[in-house]
Amino acid sequence: MAINPNHGSDPETNSGDEQSGADPETANGADADGGTESGVGTEADGGAEADPPAGRQAEPESGLESETAPTAETGTRSVEESGTLAWPARYARDHLVHIAVLAVLLLYPGVYALLIDSPLRSELVALLPEVETMIAVFYFGLFAMSFDFISGYTGYLDFGHAVFYGTGAYVVLLAGSGKVPLLPAETPFVLLLVLAGLLAATLASLIGALSFRLSGVYFAMITLGFGQVVYVFVRGWEFIGSNPRDGLAVSERSGFEIGVPFVDSLSLAIGQLTGDEFSVLATTLSTSEVSYYLVGLVVLVCYLAMQRIIHSPFGRVMVAIRENEDRAAAIGYNTFRYKLGAFAISGFFAAIAGGLFAGFQRAATPDSSFFFLVTGDALLAAIIGGFGTLAGPLYGRLFDEGVREFLSKAGEGGGLLPYLREHLSEATLGTDLVGGITVQGAIETFLNGHASLYIGALFVLFVLFVPDGLLGAIRARLGGPIAKRLPDRIGERLPERFERYWKALER
Amino acid sequence: MLRTRDLTKEFGGLTAVDSVDFELEEGELCSLIGPNGAGKTTFFDLLTGGLAPSAGTIELRPSNGGDSEWTDITGASPHETADLGLHRSYQITNIFPTSSVLENVRVAAQAAGTNSLRVWRNVGSFESHIAEARAILDRVGLEGKADVTARALSHGEKRQLEVAIALAGDPDVLLLDEPNAGVSSESVDAIIALIEDVATDHAVLLVEHNMDVVMNVSDRIVVLSQGAVIADDTPGNVRGDPAVQEAYLGGYEPEAATDAAGDGEAGTSEGEA
Repeated sequence: MAINPNHGSDPETNSGDEQSGADPETANGADADGGTESGVGTEADGGAEADPPAGRQAEPESGLESETAPTAETGTRSVEESGTLAWPARYARDHLVHIAVLAVLLLYPGVYALLIDSPLRSELVALLPEVETMIAVFYFGLFAMSFDFISGYTGYLDFGHAVFYGTGAYVVLLAGSGKVPLLPAETPFVLLLVLAGLLAATLASLIGALSFRLSGVYFAMITLGFGQVVYVFVRGWEFIGSNPRDGLAVSERSGFEIGVPFVDSLSLAIGQLTGDEFSVLATTLSTSEVSYYLVGLVVLVCYLAMQRIIHSPFGRVMVAIRENEDRAAAIGYNTFRYKLGAFAISGFFAAIAGGLFAGFQRAATPDSSFFFLVTGDALLAAIIGGFGTLAGPLYGRLFDEGVREFLSKAGEGGGLLPYLREHLSEATLGTDLVGGITVQGAIETFLNGHASLYIGALFVLFVLFVPDGLLGAIRARLGGPIAKRLPDRIGERLPERFERYWKALER
Repeated sequence: MLRTRDLTKEFGGLTAVDSVDFELEEGELCSLIGPNGAGKTTFFDLLTGGLAPSAGTIELRPSNGGDSEWTDITGASPHETADLGLHRSYQITNIFPTSSVLENVRVAAQAAGTNSLRVWRNVGSFESHIAEARAILDRVGLEGKADVTARALSHGEKRQLEVAIALAGDPDVLLLDEPNAGVSSESVDAIIALIEDVATDHAVLLVEHNMDVVMNVSDRIVVLSQGAVIADDTPGNVRGDPAVQEAYLGGYEPEAATDAAGDGEAGTSEGEA
């Protein structure tokens, strides 16, 4: 963490623990001490100088329990080293991983377009998610993050979270169809998102005020109950149309634009058919690519905001409630209010995600927005990505969607099945396998339309073998948030490796 | 500092705490002893608001000069009593297991005041909480463990952390529920030193089973038996009280205290037992 007591401690103790690596025990707690994991948390460095002598005084004492002592020293190196760098360099170093992830996401549509034209075309089409899939990953990833915000950080599993996603989607679609009094159909999309967020936050406060009287499995059950009540209500709500089960689609209004409200030149519309194209540097971004960047931008802003909240004093209280709610109350926190606040914030961002979904798809049904299985998908993404890590659910959703697309039927974005059909010869396809099944038959039997089955199996494997999820497992491995530990690890390992290779070469 | 009138708690037919009149003076270290099931922890739960009393009142007076008003805290919730300066530690270790030791105390320090409602600034910029937490870790002897995950501490260290969390936020009254529970005999001295240190600037109510500790550190001892107070006196008088001997102390030899603790006080009161 950013606040290190051993700022001034002697270097000998540090060299000792580099060998043993980080204690995995500290990793699980590291999330709570995440300090400046967010891209905007520069202030945290202020605490580094808080109490330099503490480390010195600790020396004789920690000598007694030498087994656990090294854990206190981990992370010292980063503070010492970064202390010698100018702040832009230090900032870049602290956020190396974030910058790398952003760069990959920023370049992805271009790289994808280039690779699709390369000789490896069909392999890459099978493997890489389409840009349209990535948009879905973004907005649903945001929903999964908002789910993780309440469930992973405060420890309350909200099985009715889809209510807020649906609220966001329906506010945008109803307003876009001109069905909301006082809101013209052409109300700027960004304002609609904020309105939807506020409405969902209010709804969350109401649901939470009742639900937070319970805890554990009872909380999950009552939120599921609220979710289903709202779902059934929306499914039969005739205000939406003559057949509310079919949901709602926007036909009148032009594209939903993201940018500065009321300034046309500073906004671009999203959506595959109604979106804008955009020309930069002699290339033209397609509607999907424009949507990719704009949806991505909103998701990034929301992520940074949530990250900021997680690392604020308020966020620490949320973690304290997850860790031990009784003690949190005993040290003076009105836990009910903090839970309610966290729930409202979570609902706000869930509605933004739902609004983005509706804005891009221009249609939603109760089953694709309010249904409890939508929450189930968020839970899946959160578990695969890492429960209690904010970015994890996004990666979890990417994994989920990636596997789904890879195993999908032809015409749904390319994947293994069309690839095999295209590339295996007639003779191979006709070959008999065991029991009279041809290769063709086996492919059809095992691959066609079974993506969900394999996702289910993967989910089971994840829960069994990677319970901390993708991000959680890597954190445990590195002994802290990736952005903090990875540069250190590379800094430790690379020169060492290099030296080893060099010696090998000399011989 | 803290007083109860006729405090009673009934669970169905069982009276766990029976009309207890109790007062804790400023700067006092009072011990609460009694056999298992005497109602000590229930009494603590009543004081801090974890349980609502069946009858009786609890009042608290903040420690500014002694002329301030008594506040009725009967039926207040745990976070309200904590906010008023009544903190407790737990018999069964009750910490934030996957947070760091520093964070355990820091988040407790943060509870006083309104900073916890700030959602937009990084915790690192609230240096006063960090400084307070470090000072407390220093005081309880955990300064070298600040960055260790709390659940990785040894049992004795967890007991120290337990007290550290209660110390954060500058309470007026500390209720320590068996800070020595399960601590090996060689580590007991460290905890005793901690209790004595803490008692210098807080009013302390201590639940403790180790009679050597109780007799040595207490200014006053209250004995509970079946929920009722059967004695409330100085350590010397309580030890000589036949009712206490029968209910709880039966077989306690002060000589053992002389051997184990080797402290002066046990020696002076030998004859009374």
